[in-house]
Amino acid sequence: MSDWRRRWQRYRRQNRVLIALYVFLLVAVGAGYALLNRLRGLPPEELANRLLVFMLWWFDLTLIVILLFILLRNFVKLALERRYGILGSRFRTKLLLSFLVVIVGPTGLLFLLSAALLSSAATLWFSAPVGGMVRAGAALAETARSEAEHRVQRTAQTVASRLAPVPGRSARLVELERLHALLGSQLTGWWQDGIPIVELVDPRQSSLQRLPPLSSDALTSNGVRGEHFGGTVVVRAWRRLPDGSVVVTGEALPPALVEAQGRLAAGGAAYERLKLERPAITATVVLGFGGLALIVAFGAIWLGLYLSRRFTDPLLALAATTQRVAGGQSLEEVPLPAEDEVGLLVDSFNSMVRRLRAREEELRSAVHRLDTVLGAVRTGVLTLDSTREFVTGNPAAAAMLGVPALVLKPMPLMELQGSGLQRLVETIRDATGPVRGSLTIFPGGIVHHLEMALVPLGAPAQPEGWVVALEDLTQLLRAQRQAAWSEVARQIAHQIKNPLTPIRLAAERMIRHGARGSPELEKVVREGGRAIVEHVSAMQEMVDSFARYAKLPPLARRSVAIGELLRQVATLYQGVRAGLVIEATDESGGRELLLDPEQFRQVLTNLLDNAIEASPKGGRVTVGVRWQDQDALITVTDEGTGLDVEDTEVLFQPFYSTKGRGSGMGLAMVQRIVADHGGTIRLEPNQPRGVRAVIRLPGERA
Amino acid sequence: MIVAVILLAAAVAPDLRVTKLAPAPGRLVAQVTLRGEAPAEWTEALSGGAKVSVTYRFRLYRSRSWLWDQRMGAHELVVKAERDPLTGTFALTAEYDGEILASGQAGSLEETLRRMLSPLPVDMSVPLKHEPLLLFVRAEFMTRYTLLVIPRAVGTGWVQITVPEAP
Repeated sequence: MSDWRRRWQRYRRQNRVLIALYVFLLVAVGAGYALLNRLRGLPPEELANRLLVFMLWWFDLTLIVILLFILLRNFVKLALERRYGILGSRFRTKLLLSFLVVIVGPTGLLFLLSAALLSSAATLWFSAPVGGMVRAGAALAETARSEAEHRVQRTAQTVASRLAPVPGRSARLVELERLHALLGSQLTGWWQDGIPIVELVDPRQSSLQRLPPLSSDALTSNGVRGEHFGGTVVVRAWRRLPDGSVVVTGEALPPALVEAQGRLAAGGAAYERLKLERPAITATVVLGFGGLALIVAFGAIWLGLYLSRRFTDPLLALAATTQRVAGGQSLEEVPLPAEDEVGLLVDSFNSMVRRLRAREEELRSAVHRLDTVLGAVRTGVLTLDSTREFVTGNPAAAAMLGVPALVLKPMPLMELQGSGLQRLVETIRDATGPVRGSLTIFPGGIVHHLEMALVPLGAPAQPEGWVVALEDLTQLLRAQRQAAWSEVARQIAHQIKNPLTPIRLAAERMIRHGARGSPELEKVVREGGRAIVEHVSAMQEMVDSFARYAKLPPLARRSVAIGELLRQVATLYQGVRAGLVIEATDESGGRELLLDPEQFRQVLTNLLDNAIEASPKGGRVTVGVRWQDQDALITVTDEGTGLDVEDTEVLFQPFYSTKGRGSGMGLAMVQRIVADHGGTIRLEPNQPRGVRAVIRLPGERA
Repeated sequence: MIVAVILLAAAVAPDLRVTKLAPAPGRLVAQVTLRGEAPAEWTEALSGGAKVSVTYRFRLYRSRSWLWDQRMGAHELVVKAERDPLTGTFALTAEYDGEILASGQAGSLEETLRRMLSPLPVDMSVPLKHEPLLLFVRAEFMTRYTLLVIPRAVGTGWVQITVPEAP
């Protein structure tokens, strides 16, 4: 934008240039009009009138044009704004129309009424009664003068008729003097050949003593004339005598009367002039009132527009900002000074924005921290929206699943179908609640064993999203397997090493006795052979137990009344040891469980064997079953010496035995069978003494 | 009714006539007279003591066949009258092109009207060698306003007369 354009925009906003331009145009046009009319030779007073009327007319006309322009411009602008749905246009339209109706309407009506009243007043002013009064006043003055004329004419006639028969100059002078006194004339004169022979003047009328002579032309016949002289009007009449001389009589009107007549005449003349200028006067008044009405209307409309802007601008700014904030474009404040209620609203909004901004900053920081954590942890985390159509993941998840794009942006869940992820996708898609389980995938041909937990976010009925946690157990399983193999090798070595020593000792003893031909050779061979056979049998038994543990037959599940099964097993052990009480408590209510009865019988047998072996003389072994929620709790309790706390964890490991004999596979097999049935087993201290084995088997779900 | 008003207006409009037209080398003497009634408003104002005037406008054109007529001169004769109600006389002044041509008094309204409507002859200068001249004359009594502001003269229309050649 150029410098001039910027300046113009600034000046335009201030309106000073426009106002100055308008005044300049007003003055220029007025001056032009005045010059034009001056060139036409108009008299100054008419020029002033015309100029005044023209200026008023120009002022009114330009105001009307400006008013119409402003109205038209704003209406067009509002119409366009309404058409394009710009915020606030409807409110502005209503406000502007309200101002027009409330202010311009009454103003126009007031103007029309005022113009009509003034026009009728002017009409009344120039009406017949007023004109009649003025004319009557003028006639009164005329009459007074006419009366004086008649008087002096009669006097002149009387003097002429009396003077005509008088012979001689001296006699005429005497007679003239006598008549002057007799008739009470103010001026009596006798002229001959245009020269006054004598002029008799009333001494009280000093003004008549300096009268100019009548013109000789006038004296050729009889006549009368009124003239201004000495601040009054002097009326003189003259009459010719038969000898050619002229008698002149005169009278001065009273100055007070003349003065009153003068004022009356001046008023009449002014009235007549006003009558002639009546159109200009009416135009001046009407245009003046029109200008006033237009100024009021202009001011009202300008005020309406200003107020509408003042009211709506903060609201529009607030609404626009609110829309932007609601649309998530930005968290900006409304840059308006707080003044009134709108300002209070703006302040409240700005406070809200500031709080939101702080919260957003905190949230961003938390998200950043979460991203950092998710990027650092080795647990894979997948997040899904509520529809479970799009999924994102942290770097660990992307690495586990072999899909690097998971980190970059949300990708459709169905695109994870390849690389053995179908089961994962199906589990996610079909889940109706939290899901836990293991998963084996092979992205890129490499097998991964994953532990998976799928959890809905928010209310389970209407989750806002889903989170999948993936734990890669491949390395752990591998390590566990290696550790297990090591343990197996160690235990086998240990188990085999124990019988090997007596076997070797027995064999060495037999060799020694055989070499020296010992007479006890036979006995030694017999005892040694027996010992070898016993240890080999123990080894055989151990190997068999390994084989049984390693190759348990598959479960043959069927519905079994668990209470009945417990009673049967307990019955087999009745009387197995003197003084030992074995009892079964059945609280199953006859309910059945889905299990392999043969394998579970083996579980009970192993637990009872241990319990009986641990029980002291006169002890009690209890086998019981009861229900807890949907699960069956089966307990085998003894009153022996109990177990150390650390033993409760390792007793279920293969080859572990606290008895110092046996293969140590019994409880391991128990745990495996229970686990195969989907249950758990734990050992806990019994009160007041002994051990209680608790098996929890899941019942049939509703 | 409109027609009647127009006819009435036409009937009361005074008629301007050129009563004397005396061309001479370099000069042209013209005298005009108005026949008919002056506007009543104007006459009332005169008799009421207001100062009124009649403006006679003379326009002299050179008549050209193929071009517009060339204006050779413009003159104004303004006859003013004002009644003195105290003496009953009328003061008359005739100004020709802004200069007083004559002044005097009249004792009656009739005499005043006669002298205003039949003013003194005026003397106009014309070029010595010229084509046929056209004289346009009109009389204006007063000014009225159209639409409150546009001035409009009340008077006669332009009367055109061809100026004869000087002897």
